[in-house]
Amino acid sequence: MTDRSQVERQAAEPVVQAKRRFSIVWIVPLVALAIGGWLAFKAIREKGPTITITFATADGLEAGKTKIKFKDVEIGQVETISLQDDASKVVVTAKMVKGSEPFLTDQTKFWVVRPRISGGSVTGLGTVLSGSYIGIDGSKQGAPTLSFTGLEVPPVVSFDHPGRYFQIVADTLGSLDVGSPVYYRQIQVGQVVSYSFNKEGTGVDIKIFIDAPHYTKVTENTRFWNASGFDVSLTAQGLKVDTQSVVSILNGGIAFDLAKELGPGVEAKENEFFYLYPDRNATQEKRYTIRNYYVLLFDESVRGLNVGAPLEMYGIKMGEVVDLKLEFDVDRKKFTVPVTVAMEPERVSSSKKQEALKIIENDPGVFITSLVEQQGLRAQLQSANLLTGQMMINLVFVPDAPKATLTSRNGLTVVPTIPGSFERLQEGLSKIIANLEKVKFDQIGGELQQTLKETKTTVAEIGGLAKKLNSETAPKLQATLAELQKTLVELQKGMGKDSPLNYNATKAVEELSLTLRSLRELLTTLDNQPQSLIFGKEKKSGE
Amino acid sequence: MSKSAATALELGLVNCHDCHLLVELEQARRHPHCPRCGAHLHARKPNSLARTWALVWAAIIFIVPANVLPMTVTTTLGAKQADTIMSGVIYFMQSGSWEIAAVIFIASVFVPFAKLCILIFLLCSVQFRWGWRPKDRTSLYRLTELVGRWSMVDIYVVTILVALVKLGAVAAIEAGPAAVYFAAVVVTTMFAAESFDPRLIWDVLEEDV
Repeated sequence: MTDRSQVERQAAEPVVQAKRRFSIVWIVPLVALAIGGWLAFKAIREKGPTITITFATADGLEAGKTKIKFKDVEIGQVETISLQDDASKVVVTAKMVKGSEPFLTDQTKFWVVRPRISGGSVTGLGTVLSGSYIGIDGSKQGAPTLSFTGLEVPPVVSFDHPGRYFQIVADTLGSLDVGSPVYYRQIQVGQVVSYSFNKEGTGVDIKIFIDAPHYTKVTENTRFWNASGFDVSLTAQGLKVDTQSVVSILNGGIAFDLAKELGPGVEAKENEFFYLYPDRNATQEKRYTIRNYYVLLFDESVRGLNVGAPLEMYGIKMGEVVDLKLEFDVDRKKFTVPVTVAMEPERVSSSKKQEALKIIENDPGVFITSLVEQQGLRAQLQSANLLTGQMMINLVFVPDAPKATLTSRNGLTVVPTIPGSFERLQEGLSKIIANLEKVKFDQIGGELQQTLKETKTTVAEIGGLAKKLNSETAPKLQATLAELQKTLVELQKGMGKDSPLNYNATKAVEELSLTLRSLRELLTTLDNQPQSLIFGKEKKSGE
Repeated sequence: MSKSAATALELGLVNCHDCHLLVELEQARRHPHCPRCGAHLHARKPNSLARTWALVWAAIIFIVPANVLPMTVTTTLGAKQADTIMSGVIYFMQSGSWEIAAVIFIASVFVPFAKLCILIFLLCSVQFRWGWRPKDRTSLYRLTELVGRWSMVDIYVVTILVALVKLGAVAAIEAGPAAVYFAAVVVTTMFAAESFDPRLIWDVLEEDV
């Protein structure tokens, strides 16, 4: 050992250089760097856009937990929830996954999916347990944006749902709501999507969506009507209840069908406008396009006559009252009630309907002139309902009516009127009363009194006569009667059973009987042998 | 201090790391094996600074995904909830379980970060030859070594939860990707602490004198 060390001490010490060898341990941070780098790269690459959505409330939303789901696929997560500066809204910041950018356009809708129970359906029941999430209906059409306004109610129809939107114009919304069903022949084919006031605020614009392929059923001749609730009508056939479905009773609904007598026509385009009729019957009524207006001048009370009151002929509706007012005619110093009526000649059926309609449409004046001047067409007020006192206008033909000519008033033809049935009754009554007034009741009364006086004296005289009769005539009459009785008793004695008169009479009758028998024999002989009168009675050979 | 006692290195002696046999340095250089137990002999942990730095860097990288990615994914009645370490702490804090929150925070957040900071500080002090309070720095190192393994508590909790809570649709817990990175942080820091040679702290002082 010492030798070796000695040797080595003599030898030059080798320079031992610190090994600048790459330490294997640096692989660990390199691997870590690789993993970390890959994670970071992945995170950056997969980082989707961050969007902001404003909602009215953050009910059910939780920062860091609430998901954003598109067709139930998670495509984002809520990061933060904060109030807007003026605290009027809630601003939700959400991180979307990579690849969701094409759907983030200004057409895209966001809403909070919560359990909802509406008249017709229950939705979002799954969120009772799992918590609310934000639903998204992405649309690739529209300008890309990153800030959205969330809907408070989920959209009824998603973008990719095939179908067609239509606009319904209504006076009032009725019991319709978003999601109310739309029926075609009592099958649900669509629903109400939204509603709003129209620009003027005079009506309601309702947007409906009809699913494919049923939207082809909506044509230019389609009529929509409000199928909400149910119609109860009591007619001569009995009680009739008409409804679309129980859901529509609760939730309202719209039904549509083709107008009768009209063909299907051209298929309606997207967002075409339709009028919403109050009920099915109304769709039948309003399909008349020709409306002729006439003025009727009444000099009587029109109490009970309203705008919309029917105009009838032979009990069939022909039109309705559209306007009525009281007017003062300065020249004639007279009040009149001009009633404007709309007549719908299309209601009248005719074997040559088209021809007739053409005439009416082109020249309504000629037609009505002939009716009025030749056939005595007159308008008349009539009671439509005795209970409510509603009035209507009846068109009657009065052949013996005084001649009338058509006049014009403010550009409308004036159809002459005759007093209404009630009015006529009144008139008749007043005539009777007028006649009665002519009777001189005081004179009649005086005469009657005189007569009565005279009667009284007559009666007194009769009374005196009776008294006299009683005191003088009656005893004499009694005596006479007693004598008469006596006479009769004697008469009975004289003509009694054993009286000679009776015997003689019996004898005489017997004699008469014998004589008569001989006479009969004689007559028989004469009948058989008339010659015996001359030649005497022949003896018979046998005798 | 240095004059009061000689170090083994000064005397040309090397202590075997395994059987603590004193071996002469010359001998150790030629035969870098312990003549008694056959272990590698070296006066200081070989390449200590570089190794520790490398492991510390790895831990620094791993600690990012460990804290950013979800540690557990809890499914309760269909609602999935991913929790990172910090969100779990906040959750327990908000739900009133201060103790649990404190334990998780200390074991899973405070300790790994503290360990990394201490290691970096020690490495810097050796690298840049700081002479500042070597005793305190040594106790910091001891603390690091002692406390390091307890960081695994979080991993144990997660594994136990995953195994226990398997109630199908009602509730289920799954380990998130952060668990792996967190475990990596703990392991790398442990190795880093192991590979750091505290004698280097004192060597700097010896050489400076």
